[in-house]
Amino acid sequence: MKQPGWQSLLSFSILFLACLAGFSSRLFAVIRFESIIHEFDPWFNYRSTHHLTTNGFYEFLNWFDERAWYPLGRIVGGTVYPGLMVTAGLIHYVLNLLHITVHIRDVCVFLAPVFSGLTAISTFLLTRELWNQGAGLLAACFIAIVPGYISRSVAGSFDNEGIAIFALQFTYYLWVKSVKTGSVFWTIGCCLSYFYMVSAWGGYVFIINLIPLHVFVLLLMQRYSRRVYIAYSTFYIVGLVLSMQIPFVGFQPIRTSEHMAAAGVFALLQAYAFLQYLKDRLTRQEFQTLFFLGVSLAAGMVFLTVIYLTYTGLYVRLLTCYAKIHIPIIASVSEHQPTTWVSFFFDLHILVCTFPAGLWFCIKNINDERVFVALYAISAVYFAGVMVRLMLTLTPVVCMLSAVAFSSVFEHYMGDDTKREKPPEKAEEGLGPNIKSIVTMLMLMLLMMFAVHCTWVTSNAYSSPSVVLASYNHDGTRNILDDFREAYYWLRQNTDEHARVMSWWDYGYQIAGMANRTTLVDNNTWNNSHIALVGKAMSSNESAAYQIMRSLDVDYVLIIFGGVIGYSGDDINKFLWMVRIAEGEHPKDIRESDYFTPQGEFRVDKAGSPTLLNCLMYKMSYYRFGEMQVRRGALTPPGFDRTRNAEIGNKDIKFKHLEEAFTSEHWLVRIYKVKKLDNREPLDHKLRSVVPKQKYTSKKVPLMLGGEFALQVWRDSFRFS
Amino acid sequence: MSSSDVTNFFFLFQNLAPTLPIMQPSHLVTSLENLLSEKVDQMMEWSSRRSVVRMNGDKFRRFVKAPPRNYSVIVMFTALQPQRQCSVCRQANEEYQVLANSWRYSSAFSNKLFFTVVDYDEGADVFQQLNMNSAPTFMHFPAKGKPKRADTFDLQRIGFASEQLAKWIADRTDVQIRVFRPPNYSGTIALALLVSLVGGLLYLRRNNLEFIYNKTGWAMAALCVVFAMTSGQMWNHIRGPPYAHKNPQNGQVSYIHGSSQAQFVAESHIILLLNAAITMGMVLLNEAATSKGDVGKRRIICLVGLGLVVFFFSFLLSIFRSKYHGYPYR
Repeated sequence: MKQPGWQSLLSFSILFLACLAGFSSRLFAVIRFESIIHEFDPWFNYRSTHHLTTNGFYEFLNWFDERAWYPLGRIVGGTVYPGLMVTAGLIHYVLNLLHITVHIRDVCVFLAPVFSGLTAISTFLLTRELWNQGAGLLAACFIAIVPGYISRSVAGSFDNEGIAIFALQFTYYLWVKSVKTGSVFWTIGCCLSYFYMVSAWGGYVFIINLIPLHVFVLLLMQRYSRRVYIAYSTFYIVGLVLSMQIPFVGFQPIRTSEHMAAAGVFALLQAYAFLQYLKDRLTRQEFQTLFFLGVSLAAGMVFLTVIYLTYTGLYVRLLTCYAKIHIPIIASVSEHQPTTWVSFFFDLHILVCTFPAGLWFCIKNINDERVFVALYAISAVYFAGVMVRLMLTLTPVVCMLSAVAFSSVFEHYMGDDTKREKPPEKAEEGLGPNIKSIVTMLMLMLLMMFAVHCTWVTSNAYSSPSVVLASYNHDGTRNILDDFREAYYWLRQNTDEHARVMSWWDYGYQIAGMANRTTLVDNNTWNNSHIALVGKAMSSNESAAYQIMRSLDVDYVLIIFGGVIGYSGDDINKFLWMVRIAEGEHPKDIRESDYFTPQGEFRVDKAGSPTLLNCLMYKMSYYRFGEMQVRRGALTPPGFDRTRNAEIGNKDIKFKHLEEAFTSEHWLVRIYKVKKLDNREPLDHKLRSVVPKQKYTSKKVPLMLGGEFALQVWRDSFRFS
Repeated sequence: MSSSDVTNFFFLFQNLAPTLPIMQPSHLVTSLENLLSEKVDQMMEWSSRRSVVRMNGDKFRRFVKAPPRNYSVIVMFTALQPQRQCSVCRQANEEYQVLANSWRYSSAFSNKLFFTVVDYDEGADVFQQLNMNSAPTFMHFPAKGKPKRADTFDLQRIGFASEQLAKWIADRTDVQIRVFRPPNYSGTIALALLVSLVGGLLYLRRNNLEFIYNKTGWAMAALCVVFAMTSGQMWNHIRGPPYAHKNPQNGQVSYIHGSSQAQFVAESHIILLLNAAITMGMVLLNEAATSKGDVGKRRIICLVGLGLVVFFFSFLLSIFRSKYHGYPYR
């Protein structure tokens, strides 16, 4: 079917505008603040991209980062998905080749918005394969502005998910295309796209389970065809080989349980095809015998495998959702929580109510590729329900199915009856122009509300860099709080190049990226016991903490304190997690109950537990804070913590082994220097009093004073030196 | 534990009491060691009958409070009588029984640790003596010395799961108890029932298996999953929120949680219905345009569909707004 020229021009311009809208609605943070890398993980990605562009690809693959996880270090090249860094590095390289000189930071900042445009295009392609061109265009418009996707792809959020959603959608498009055509060309394209996805994000597991599921359901529905056979056999083998080329993935695809479904379906498909082949060759009687034999054998095999898996506990791990794991370090991350309906509505708005209608239409008019999108929707909605973070994988399919629903409504209600080619003689022709235009108008209004909601959410909820904070006065003027960068630059300028900075793991990547100093723990939380040790140091008293810090060679301690400006994400509010994680590893030394009042409350004022009031984190947070009058009306006493709305309980804080090195403008970041050991250990026992024999007495001391007095003089001089 | 069970046991207990040798005045002269071994034997005998020893005021003072002791005692102070209406006590009691049974039937079972229970209706004097005004409370009475602050189990914060209790006991007495829960077969039975039901249905309809190919049925099932997830049933399943909140002051019942971070079960059901209504509206709109029939009927279907979408979406939006203060346009 050949399209008229104006139609393809229209499609092209709509698609182009969708990309443009997607790109520009992600720029709020850049316009309000500046071109800066956001949050935590992106700082690591940025740092490794920087390493890649300065030292080259092979150096990057072999990079051993001795500045992280001191004293252990981290093998970066083998523990990251390199797709993101390589993509940014490649773009930077090409631009420089064309003599467009940009800094690598700008490439990193604008990578996610650019890829969101590509996502819109691939979503258009996929939806066009599933339904029609109109639905495709609507889907592209939806995915360009939907908050569920913007949350991970604003400018500056230089993270794996930003490029992975494009790879995901494109892989699915090529897969649907190859199932439709049965051509090896499309399948190889699908494998390459899958390879890119594997190199970019751990979420590739979703693809390698969804595609086999699709094939399996097609077999169940007796929709087996040569096309499916060719597509899946090629995809599995080539995709497997390609995915194993990524160092971080390695041999996982043939070892771990997540990939077993794909292998099982591959075997099943071969067996099924073989049976189909035999069916043509054998008589009915022979075939039946063979079939029963084969089925009973297969059933026995499956049974044994299940028993084995159950025995080894793999099955349990497959079935239990991650949210139920009670390891504190996983529970402490807010992204690993189940999803309320409010989050669904917040991220998807009208789409969450209309996409079931699209799913309904797809199932009612089922074909091979619509089976795929139905499975995609059901599995993604389940995962999104279990974990907030996986809303990201749900968003594309919601956009596609909502587009299907809206486009089928528009298709029927927008068209003008009189201009149809067909003669309007039939009685059941039209609902009348009035109803049609009312329906169209109201639907358009709903979509407009959606657009307004998306813009509002993007601007208010998802465009904060969280490295730079902003506060608004009553008259609407804006204050920029740049304490984080101030402190990190202080570290960069004023400390020794190899100084080791201890902080809670949230700030590890930022310290490494902005201050370029060695950290003990960071956001790659691979070593729980090391984190627990830092947590123990933070929650012990000063002398015990000093022991730990000495053993870890800590030079500086960095903490975040929000009591002056009322910043709620500070270390005191995270403190209980430090205690819990420390208790998990050192139950004899740290007890969570010690940090609560007898009534079971966590308080920082006078009623708080003495253990809390004397632990290192408390002392570092509130050192000299007792003298400070926070501006908030005249009535607040000195030492009033605005975050927790309490006057602190321990105002007389003195340090023995630490000294304050730096406090930022709004006290948001405080850095302490860990003192070296004194030259000589002060003796805590009484000095041995020896009456010196006269022949050893110095001539300068008068003989008659001798003994006791000399000792006294020596003691005093020692004390005051 | 059923009530007849309790009375039965209690009866037995009273029969036993007069035969206790240490209660006779003539035996007061027995040496401390004898007294101690008598006590231990008595406790062991009771424990062998029942993993949790029931105590009244006298028994409590004699076996738990009185000094010659070389065994630790865990006491649950509770109020299990039905007229006390303490539902927490019953749950705590179940967990406590699980723990006590795990100890009773473990290979490490010894006379170093006993599990006992004091019910308020049998030993109110004990509650007064210990200045205790809430039940349930778990206390540990160490073999030597008086109970310290940490010997009272922190129920408010940790909860009363057997595993937590076992951890606390290990902490206080150095006795490690591996909690063994009697396996819960209800899930398996439900699954088996479901499978047999489906199997039976298939068998009954074996002549007409067309309904497996019924797209409407499958579409319905798919939509059910989707609605369940988008209305946050998984959150309910994991977090276990209350069904609705009743304000104790004025008795008003609120079905919508005020914060955007949480939800009630009732609320999620309302959302489920709203989502379903909007979806149905969209489907009806489509139906009205594509079906072949009377135009008047189709017009009505169309208007109903439109009404469903517009009305229920506005409703949903207003619920959302009540939870998200300051939405939108700030």
